[in-house]
Amino acid sequence: MSRIARHWKLALPLGVLVIVASAVVSTSFAASKAKEVRVAIMTDCKGAFGFGSEVDTGGALAAFAQYAGGKVKDPKKPTAGMTGIKVGGTSVKIVGIGCGDDTVPTAVKETRRLMEQLKADVMIGPLSGDEAVYVANYAKSHPTKTFVIGTAGSQDPTLQIAPKNVFRYHGDGAQWNAGIGEIAYKKLGWRKAAIVMDDYSFGWTSGAGIIADFCAIGGQITKRVFPPLNTTDYSSYVQQLPAPGTVDGYFWVVGGTGTGASLTAFEQQYGALKPDQHIGNLFFAFLGADKVVAPKVVGSYVGGFGTGPGLKTKQAKAYEAVVAKWYPGLNGGNYADGFVYNYYNAAWAFIRGLQASGGQTGAKLQASMPRTNKSGYEVSDGGVVKLDANRQAIQDQYPLQVVKNADGSIGTAVVGYVPNVDQSFGGLFKKTSPAPGRTQPPCVKKSLPWQGKIKVVTNGVITNAVIK
Amino acid sequence: MSERLAQVDVRRLVPRLVVGTVVIAALLYVIVIAQPPPEVGGNWRSTTFGSAFDDWRSFTRTLLNGLTFAGLLFIVASGFSLIFGLMRVVNMAHGSFYLLGGYIAYEVQQKMTGEQGYTIQGFNVNTWEWVFPALVAAGVIAVVGLVVQQVFLRWNQGQELRQALITIAISVIIADQVIAHFNEGLASSVTWPGWMNRLVELPLLGIEYSLTRLVVLCLGLAVGSALWLWLYRTRTGMVIRAGVDDQQMTSALGVNIQLTFAMAFIVGSALAAFGGAVGASQGAVAPGQDGQWLLNSLVVVIIGGLGSLLGAAAGSLLYGLVFSFSAVYLPTTGNNCCTQYSIVFTFILLALVLAFRPQGLFGKFS
Amino acid sequence: MTRDPKTLAERAIAVGVLVVAALGPLIFNDYWVDVILTQTLIVGIAAASLIFLAAYGGMISLAQTMLMGSAGFMIGNMVTKGGAGGESKGLTLGWDPTLSLALALVGTTVIGLLFGLVASRSTGIYFLMITLTYSVIGFYFVGQVTVVSGFSGIANINRYTPPFVGDMVNDRYRLYYIALGVALAVYALIRFALRTPFGLALQGVRDEPVRMSSLGYAVPLHRTLAFGFSSFLAALAGVLLVWWQGQIAPGDIGLQSTIDLLMVAVIGGLTRIEGAWVGALAFIVINNYVRDSWLTDLLDRVHVGGSFNTIIGLVFLAIVIFSPDGLIGAWERIWSFFGRAGGPDAPVVAPGPVSQEA
Repeated sequence: MSRIARHWKLALPLGVLVIVASAVVSTSFAASKAKEVRVAIMTDCKGAFGFGSEVDTGGALAAFAQYAGGKVKDPKKPTAGMTGIKVGGTSVKIVGIGCGDDTVPTAVKETRRLMEQLKADVMIGPLSGDEAVYVANYAKSHPTKTFVIGTAGSQDPTLQIAPKNVFRYHGDGAQWNAGIGEIAYKKLGWRKAAIVMDDYSFGWTSGAGIIADFCAIGGQITKRVFPPLNTTDYSSYVQQLPAPGTVDGYFWVVGGTGTGASLTAFEQQYGALKPDQHIGNLFFAFLGADKVVAPKVVGSYVGGFGTGPGLKTKQAKAYEAVVAKWYPGLNGGNYADGFVYNYYNAAWAFIRGLQASGGQTGAKLQASMPRTNKSGYEVSDGGVVKLDANRQAIQDQYPLQVVKNADGSIGTAVVGYVPNVDQSFGGLFKKTSPAPGRTQPPCVKKSLPWQGKIKVVTNGVITNAVIK
Repeated sequence: MSERLAQVDVRRLVPRLVVGTVVIAALLYVIVIAQPPPEVGGNWRSTTFGSAFDDWRSFTRTLLNGLTFAGLLFIVASGFSLIFGLMRVVNMAHGSFYLLGGYIAYEVQQKMTGEQGYTIQGFNVNTWEWVFPALVAAGVIAVVGLVVQQVFLRWNQGQELRQALITIAISVIIADQVIAHFNEGLASSVTWPGWMNRLVELPLLGIEYSLTRLVVLCLGLAVGSALWLWLYRTRTGMVIRAGVDDQQMTSALGVNIQLTFAMAFIVGSALAAFGGAVGASQGAVAPGQDGQWLLNSLVVVIIGGLGSLLGAAAGSLLYGLVFSFSAVYLPTTGNNCCTQYSIVFTFILLALVLAFRPQGLFGKFS
Repeated sequence: MTRDPKTLAERAIAVGVLVVAALGPLIFNDYWVDVILTQTLIVGIAAASLIFLAAYGGMISLAQTMLMGSAGFMIGNMVTKGGAGGESKGLTLGWDPTLSLALALVGTTVIGLLFGLVASRSTGIYFLMITLTYSVIGFYFVGQVTVVSGFSGIANINRYTPPFVGDMVNDRYRLYYIALGVALAVYALIRFALRTPFGLALQGVRDEPVRMSSLGYAVPLHRTLAFGFSSFLAALAGVLLVWWQGQIAPGDIGLQSTIDLLMVAVIGGLTRIEGAWVGALAFIVINNYVRDSWLTDLLDRVHVGGSFNTIIGLVFLAIVIFSPDGLIGAWERIWSFFGRAGGPDAPVVAPGPVSQEA
């Protein structure tokens, strides 16, 4: 055997090096045209929200297609990209789609790759709460870049950190749950309830909204249980909950694999779930976890996501028609999912801002970003969300209910309309107040701006009746 | 008397004293010392239900929860232990076999009951519609395991680190492919047969308990018995045990050791997949759980000892019980403490085992 | 004194690399300096601690990421002050940064010694599993004990650096040069340690533990001390990591990160310390550039699906199967292919832990 053949094993690592080097070369010398605005979309492609990659990108690119003349490359695969985006006379390039996995270390690398290597001027994203906290801190030391949050629900980026170049056109995790406590109190007659929350920041933030809303109207949270995120077996945590006779109901703020596992553990201790004894946050109706739990909780009320599935306003239908036009079947046709809706509105707001700034990025863009946006499911004030002083949206919220459709499939229906929910939640959360946590907020009775003003919604129509 | 004292081996006595004290203190706390919590606040003695004397029903329930969780742990960890014990392969892809098995069971069940895309309601599922998906999952992963073993692990026997690295690479690839091909990587749940969704009265223990969890425990016991029968009452099992004890000698005696390895890998992978089907029914299966279950298996076999069926059982029991009890019987002093620190107790258990008996409780190797 | 061509070549390359590294900011663009190269240096230090244990101690440890993380979490808890600005996580002790740095390094070394004490009685694959368990414990601890971190981790650590290190946030290349300096110091330290009586005894313990024991050397003690030394190195990497990232979270020490570090070491080559930085550069470059390249499109076109993670897995698999001594091993083999390696002054290369079992 020749000497070369004997050392064939050498070929392998060298071959790998050659292939990789070519991949490097093919991606690192992107020619950048003059006066081109570079935009990166940051989403998750791994981890708990890994499916978000296609859904979020589809939402954002639908806005670019509709309002900036973008040409869809593949209507079935949004991450294939888009060309020909022009705002005013400025061309916009989508330079990259980030691949986070809901954890901070990956967010660090992806953000730096998108903003520094691919030299994006604007980021639309990120997806999850903890990633957004990092991005907000990053934004503080990179004032010339602009960040429009995708769909992250953490409070910090626009309350405690709140840099001038971070914008959020949707509510945070606490805002999304406005109204659900009052519905529990008035429609289900709950006076005492227990709450189960994932033991990390989104669990606490989402739970904070529920607790604040329920306690404000006079309810009492008698027990808070905190299973660690993605626990394997929830039986010991369910055991800590008060038995069904001692409380009127249970609030569930558990995501990931826990949504299904925790409810299964409850069933295995107390028998089949009674829908009017359980209320969940948005995980009962969206983000994939709903497919696991929805059949168990038909009839239960669900905290909102700032969206109104099935809402019959002209604006809502127009929004859904736009997404269906460019990416039909995105997210299984469920365009009311916040993953689509929030990214769509973020991109749209950016397009309008870029128009107003005449194609300029940096401080000019940040000054020109719109202070209102005609987001599809908004109804108040002529149908717009408004940004507050911290560039955080004041958004209408829609408590929901899991329902069985006529054809036997399971969906969600809007049951209430809560106008103009702000991040401070009626003065409860301030920059200097302690962040949501295990004991924050405490259960206090107070008056909220939307107390007693929640309108009944039936069949997608907002009636004038108020929830009693 | 002083002669007796002089004969006492301090180095062996001290660890036993330490472990004994810890165990007895924990048992005393749970059974006697704890108190029910007051309305507000609490002290180091207040637990959610008080002591076993205060509320023995809750104690029994916690005990049963721990045992039933241990059943599932045993199913998954026994495969891991078997593969390691016989072939000295740390199968880092064990968790991804679990994941893949869970998803395959989900897909098969969905196709069998009409493809709804949602978790199927229990009353729509009969026994065969659970058993068949589980068997298919176990079968497919058994084949996958065989392929992996024959293609990647057969030619480098004895190079333990290299094999561990190969299985790591395979686990990365499998985990990524699962996201791409199975339900878009969404959390998915397999449904138990409808007749299992009830609570049964346990008259002797005075509580109503979930039939499903008892079935999981029975499955664990069934798997354990089947494994025991196979290992201790069949010729193949005898060869496997011989191979565990002394591989070279067994091979030198003319036994087809390669065939035995293949069988062990098949059984180990099938167990992982079957565990995946059970785990997907108990909760849900989603990407990320492969790492979790690899770690669960690792903890169980480190506690129980590698290569030993009894060790896998002991490790599962201890881990399951500590997991269950620490979440319920840690002090609750108001809303901010302390049941969240239950993980600390799992690692105290691990630390004790590693410090005083590093080969595991029933481990055969040091 | 004649030197064989291989050593000469290696020395020339080393000089070249050092010159290029020193002139980094002038040669490479900002992203390369700030992200790729700085990360390479930091990850290389951690990988060097792993390779030190593997090549010269005969112990493959999967606890290095956890030790890096301990240093990071310790510094994070001690240095941040709490209050607004996303700093409310962790203990927020607000101590002096220099003191915190010292305490973090010392604390991590102590943890390493304790863990080493327990693990030193096991070898080979058992040692691997025990250290993996340490990693798991660490991950769950910082993830679930929310007093010290929680899932979201601790942020804004790089705003509080010791005065002799200076301002990390605004001064662009400061961290790069500090990391370069520390990496060189670590390399020199390891080479020095290997020449001390301790280092030589350690290599003896690696090769023939029974003989060394009968010669009167305390084998577990040597292993424990080696583990402690490597945890000090990992602690250095951990501190640099939090200064580079600005924050630390359980994801940094999870199973994925542990496996990534192992991949770095294996890709580089578990036989020589230089492999640490070679592997780190290769891994980080692959990880960075493979994402949007034609390779992922290729996966789609052959209907295999998956993302760049599949590609990384395949690359790693290929390297472990075909070149288990990594890139350094390939380098060695190139020289033996040309038949000119060897000679009286050629360095003795330890048999690779992967390609040849003890």
